[in-house]
Amino acid sequence: MIKAENVSKIFTGRGVTVRAVDGVSAAVEKAEVVVVIGPSGSGKSTFIRCVNSLEKLSGGHIYIDGVDIANKKTNLNKIRAEVGMVFQQFNLFPHKTVLDNLTLAQMRVRKRSRKAAVEKARMLLDKVGIGEKESEYPSRLSGGQQQRVAIARALAMDPKVMLFDEPTSALDPEMVGEVLDVMKQLAREGMTMMVVTHEMGFAREVADRVLFMDQGKIVEVGTPEHFFKSPREDRTKLFLKQVL
Amino acid sequence: MNTAEKLWPWKLLLAVILIVMAAGAWGSVSRIDYEWRWYRIPQYFFYKAEDPLKIPFDGTVEKITPTNSTSSVMLLSETGENVEMTVDTETIKVSEGEELFEGDTVGYHHEWSPGPLMTGLWTTMWISAVASVLALVIGLVAGLMKVTGNYTASSLAAIYVEIIRGTPLLVQIFIAYFFIGTVFNLDRIVAGIGALALFAGAYVAEIVRAGIQSIPRGQMEAARSLGMSMPQAMLDIILPQAFKRILPPLSGQFISLIKDSSLVSVIAITDLTKSGREIITSTFAPFEIWLVVAAMYLVVTSVLSQFVFYLERRLAISD
Repeated sequence: MIKAENVSKIFTGRGVTVRAVDGVSAAVEKAEVVVVIGPSGSGKSTFIRCVNSLEKLSGGHIYIDGVDIANKKTNLNKIRAEVGMVFQQFNLFPHKTVLDNLTLAQMRVRKRSRKAAVEKARMLLDKVGIGEKESEYPSRLSGGQQQRVAIARALAMDPKVMLFDEPTSALDPEMVGEVLDVMKQLAREGMTMMVVTHEMGFAREVADRVLFMDQGKIVEVGTPEHFFKSPREDRTKLFLKQVL
Repeated sequence: MNTAEKLWPWKLLLAVILIVMAAGAWGSVSRIDYEWRWYRIPQYFFYKAEDPLKIPFDGTVEKITPTNSTSSVMLLSETGENVEMTVDTETIKVSEGEELFEGDTVGYHHEWSPGPLMTGLWTTMWISAVASVLALVIGLVAGLMKVTGNYTASSLAAIYVEIIRGTPLLVQIFIAYFFIGTVFNLDRIVAGIGALALFAGAYVAEIVRAGIQSIPRGQMEAARSLGMSMPQAMLDIILPQAFKRILPPLSGQFISLIKDSSLVSVIAITDLTKSGREIITSTFAPFEIWLVVAAMYLVVTSVLSQFVFYLERRLAISD
């Protein structure tokens, strides 16, 4: 479903060059849940942002369902409609109600009728457990509720893949659970997911595979079993010792 | 802290200061030899225009039908042509059956007409309104050109903004009328409105740019990640949010525009300021007229700022 080949992303500015992602190759199969972990500054967020081309690749290729997003001829809008993204800061549209947050892109991009879009939106809001808040503005919701709306907004496009960029990092601790529950349910339903997170519990419980990144490179890949019981690399061992 | 308890001394102080300032102004004016003639002012707002009605041919008065204060006078020409005139009853100078020659006065008709202050105000308002709409369009385009990231587009917009902001409006109006207006044979109104719109547009462009850049990057990213195109995201996500933020500076700019429009009087557009100058040449009442003109500008700008205040509160529901 997602195949990354030798992806690199270099930031330059004021004479400083940072290789945020440095020759990463990885793949996410259909219905697979891949969790990317690593210390801050390891390039994991940059990598996942490369997957739907929010960051332009400096080198390498990423194929989504066989289509190369680094190719200039690729219609990125079409690709992005198939790839849902959930952000650390939610990024809900503050001037639109919860319902309008979910229906806007359905109507503009998927060209659905208002009726069909609203129906889909209501179904998803019920699914993430905030059906009764549809006419509220995002600022009236708690962080956890906002993030669940953001997940529903991405799902409304019927994406083939969901990307999560540290979805629980900006939440108060007591709200982390409700968001993780929604993500677990998605995983159970067979959604293809790529998740950047610091939630080791989630990685252990839900991931099919775990990628450990450090300094822009993938250090170790494995099943959660392997990862948390018998990591191979010293860097991984050190990281796990610090976070667990 | 109980603010209600502590506010009244300050209110008192404010009142005292204002009264002292007014008294000071009054005292200074009384020392010079100036005769105030406020009674002359109202006629420059509205006056009763006297319109003499004259018979357009040689003929006779066929019939006079009085209705309240006006009467309808039927006139018949020698060639059998009929004309009806509405004349104030008290001013009828003819009687039924009387024979008249072409150009004889049948009577007078009085009508309330707007005086030069009102027509000047109207000119100021519509010139400002048209210039504001154009400035908004120009500013939006230039502001968007600045944020697109395209080198040519943003440089063009930057050059435009720099030139306009670095030169006085008065000089721009002269250039628009005497140079560009002569080359392209422009009407003075077109030159005046054009100069005002280009001037305000440069400031609007900066306001728009700042407004767009004040919206967090995540908004654009979220919209794009849903598959929306750049123009769709701008139109549906960024601009509505930016508009809410730039409403206060934008309204300030349009209020400035109304005031700046007084400068078009130098190219002989009869706006409120020019009307004031014309009235003064015939009345020798500059103090009264300039105070009235200032008050009229103040009324227009206050109404506008109150309207924007109301709009801001309505848009604040999603905060």
